[in-house]
Amino acid sequence: MFFQALQKVFRKPLYIFLALITSLVIFLFAVWFPNLPLIISVMGHSEIPFSQKFDLPISFLGSIITNFTLLSAFYTIAIAILFGVNLTMIIYFLRKRIVDVEKSGITTGLFGITSGVIGMGCATCGSFLLTSFLSLFGASWILSYLPLNGGEFGILGVILLAFSIRLVAKQIQNPFVCSI
Amino acid sequence: METELKKERLSIPVAIIIAGVIIAGAVIWSSKSNANLAQKQQPQAIAQQGGNLDAMNPISKDDHIRGNPDATVKIVEYSDMECPFCKSFHLIMKQIMDEYGKTGKVAWVYRHFPLDSIHSKARPEAVASECVAEQGGNDAFWKFTDRFFELTPSNNRTDIETVIPQIVREIGLNEEQFVSCRTSGRYDKHIQDDLDNATATGGNGTPWSIVVGKNGKKYPLSGAQPYSSIKQLIDLALQGK
Repeated sequence: MFFQALQKVFRKPLYIFLALITSLVIFLFAVWFPNLPLIISVMGHSEIPFSQKFDLPISFLGSIITNFTLLSAFYTIAIAILFGVNLTMIIYFLRKRIVDVEKSGITTGLFGITSGVIGMGCATCGSFLLTSFLSLFGASWILSYLPLNGGEFGILGVILLAFSIRLVAKQIQNPFVCSI
Repeated sequence: METELKKERLSIPVAIIIAGVIIAGAVIWSSKSNANLAQKQQPQAIAQQGGNLDAMNPISKDDHIRGNPDATVKIVEYSDMECPFCKSFHLIMKQIMDEYGKTGKVAWVYRHFPLDSIHSKARPEAVASECVAEQGGNDAFWKFTDRFFELTPSNNRTDIETVIPQIVREIGLNEEQFVSCRTSGRYDKHIQDDLDNATATGGNGTPWSIVVGKNGKKYPLSGAQPYSSIKQLIDLALQGK
């Protein structure tokens, strides 16, 4: 049933394209975020030739190897892919049955996205969003008590996104209808 | 009927726009706090989230400098000796110095940024490195950090009482003098100053680096970025762009 729902959605190239673009955006966001001010500055600098502007952001993609642990690289890529699939399936569902929106799948997906985003990045030496968030409350010490130093949020994000996709797939296959 | 069809056609682009707005909102929200302030006050520096690059303490004789102190480009690294990414970045920086250090174009400045909340051993290790420098000078400091990152596993798993004396012996320093320095507390302020400066400039994780280019322009660099990224940034900094 799950795979049938996936087949149903991704039969159309438009949905494949949408999932790919969304996943790519999320991946780039995760990799570029710590150096976004630098990237923006280089991209907006009038004296840097157009061809050279892209060299730095492209080279930053290599940080998935140098600046991520194997685990954080895994869940960052997984979250990006699952986010793309999830969003595409929700859009498909909304387009087909706007009136019958069952909120549980979407809500789980949102929790997954939130959890995944705050857990993304270098968890060992200060995950960019999670550490900033906890620092606001003077609570970054909490990380030292977590066995994966905050990587738990990334794993939770993967689980919730996968669960959300499953729920949306179920709704696509068995929409709520008023039977005769 | 026509309105419904129109609605249906519009739903995908609208959803994409909403997703884009959410992501952009998250980015802007995280970076807005200090970016504007830094930009207004310091036109020479790129605005960095949560800090002001021009708050960087000037490079002085108290710093540990590898390469030509008068180099056109200086890479100031704020590092935690227990951070695995600082360990990999150390190797990348050694490679950079092999290429640019010989010509005197690039210098590497090492400052301390021990993340006490997750790496309790990083601060005593920073003290040890300062005590090595006190006795053996700048060369001994770099020999110590090179060897330390080579021997230790990171993430607070270092057996300090075995590894540090071993490196001190290898460098040929007086162990008694070294031990007395470690317990004296005379480098505590220096290390705290480095840490405070790292956070004041926008560092919220390690390794945190500021590349100072031609005409003093500063570029923020967060994390252990690949060799090719550092090279690109050095080339821009050499041109002062």
